[in-house]
Amino acid sequence: MSDFFSSNLVLVQSTLSGLILALSIQVPLRMGVFSFAGAGSYGIGAYAAGILVLRYEFGALTAIALTVVGTAVIGFLLGAVISKLNGLYLAMATVAFDLIISVVAINGGELTGASTGLFGILTDFTMTQMVALTVAALALVAMSEVGRLGRRVDTVRDDPELAASMGINVRRYRLAAFVVSGALGGLAGAMNVLVRSTVGPLDIGFGLIVLALTMIIVGGSRSWKGALIGAVIFTWLPDLLTVIGEWQELVYGVIVAIAAILLPRGIYGVLQDGWRWAQRTRRDRRAAARGGPVVDDDGGLRPQEDEAAVLAAQAADQPHRELDQLSSRPQGAS
Amino acid sequence: MQDLVSVVTLGSVYLLFALGMSITWGTIDILNFAHGSVFMFSAFSASLVLEQTTLGLVPVLLIGVAVGALLSVLIQVLAFEQILRRAKDRRSAEMQILIGGIGVAIIPLAIAQHHTQSNPFGLNASSFTVESLSLGGLRVTNIQVLTVVLALALWAAAAVWLQRSRQGLALRAIGVDAQTAALMGVDRRRLALVTMAVSGAMAGLSGVLFTYSLGAITAESGDTLLVKAFACIILGGVGSMLGVAFGAYLLAAAEVVILTQTNGSWVEAVSFGLIFLVLLVRPAGVFGRKEVRRT
Repeated sequence: MSDFFSSNLVLVQSTLSGLILALSIQVPLRMGVFSFAGAGSYGIGAYAAGILVLRYEFGALTAIALTVVGTAVIGFLLGAVISKLNGLYLAMATVAFDLIISVVAINGGELTGASTGLFGILTDFTMTQMVALTVAALALVAMSEVGRLGRRVDTVRDDPELAASMGINVRRYRLAAFVVSGALGGLAGAMNVLVRSTVGPLDIGFGLIVLALTMIIVGGSRSWKGALIGAVIFTWLPDLLTVIGEWQELVYGVIVAIAAILLPRGIYGVLQDGWRWAQRTRRDRRAAARGGPVVDDDGGLRPQEDEAAVLAAQAADQPHRELDQLSSRPQGAS
Repeated sequence: MQDLVSVVTLGSVYLLFALGMSITWGTIDILNFAHGSVFMFSAFSASLVLEQTTLGLVPVLLIGVAVGALLSVLIQVLAFEQILRRAKDRRSAEMQILIGGIGVAIIPLAIAQHHTQSNPFGLNASSFTVESLSLGGLRVTNIQVLTVVLALALWAAAAVWLQRSRQGLALRAIGVDAQTAALMGVDRRRLALVTMAVSGAMAGLSGVLFTYSLGAITAESGDTLLVKAFACIILGGVGSMLGVAFGAYLLAAAEVVILTQTNGSWVEAVSFGLIFLVLLVRPAGVFGRKEVRRT
């Protein structure tokens, strides 16, 4: 295990930073905000952390903390400016934002190292710290997917008007999406530059958006588990595809295209559907064997096929219950 | 004055490229992110053919047009139609098409990158050679003249097609209200295929012309052009033919000004900045009508 771990350290590190980058684009998507600003924040984060460590000799964790706060603030400002936009227009405005960042990086002169970028960024950043930060970020994102907050987020995405009429401040949620996206993107960029020790303008261009998007699309766009699946696949796939040899980029492209077209909810969506289907058939079979009522996914009772006859027979000696059919059903799935 | 020549030729390349994107987006509601890939792959195919035989200008242009049209139709049938069939509403369909386009675009890019090992490729093997002419003291090449003429002619033709022909009327009807158009007997699927073919042909044509005038392009050059074309369309207003021409030449002018005034490395930022600015100040574009969404 430790052999495997040390020989694949680079891939494990890429998986972690790739996962956080994917989350920075997935979180806004889950709120119905079609923003790619996470990739721009990743660029800002990578350069900011690199500069803080290289030019001002900050420690790794301080640099990361400052960077994350900084990119969160930038995310807030960006969100405040462009939250009016929607759909494709929002998507393209954020793509423009990302690409401007890479042009600024090229033109930063001494500070950003122009077209060669920054290198030799060596710190005391350890693998344990990286795992801890990733898990912490992942836990926070996972918390936003369950319970009251999770339901609110789903409503803001699927039906903003309904959400507003239920007293949810949709605007605030959308703004929060930009802030969270900024912080996550910054974290991913900062962590990546500290373990990789270099960053250049080519690392933060259009390709980065495509990479993050493919992770989410193939993995699944509605849950952090999807982002995790995607991050694992697309960090390890190029390594595995070397077996196929020279056509690996083509295979990669075909996988992405097929997932984008045929699996809109990604691999995680397929797994989820399969799991639900297996559970339902098992439960139905058990319920049928027992002869009791069938319980639906959402806990409701599914009417039996000859329910009318059964109810009539049950109510035969109690005429007052004939009207109240629901109460004559056995309660629960006992 | 020489700068004006640059503006006009650069703007014409943008126009030719953005025209196809603008037509599909304004009518059948497809923002085709594989358009840059089609552009690149057409020029790439032409260069492959030229490795085998020597051809003149017209056959090479025709190869570009044919490959572009074919590839676009293929993408429409294999990708966008499948996505539209599965999407549950218009909003999610828009997103899925954007993402699907990005996904599909990887395939031609991968093929070209593999074959060229990410080196630039060109059309030097063609029997047609780029020559410099002198027009009233200005230096222009024959391919520049051809680019400008073709861009303007095709732009005018497309505008007339959309405004005057029955097909154009049907297309514009789809753009306003696809359901009602379908009720009036518009065959949406067939028209979408025609539109994608036209759009792809323009991408292919601009790909070959652009490669001729630059000498060589890389497999990745489609991506940058894609964002620039988006800037042109946004600037003029989605669906407006006058708008896309205005956007193309204005973007070219802005870029040439930046190029001559500074050391040139900020040029790329112009289009991105323009997108941002226009979306904030006037999202409907300069010539765009205010979009009416009936849901």
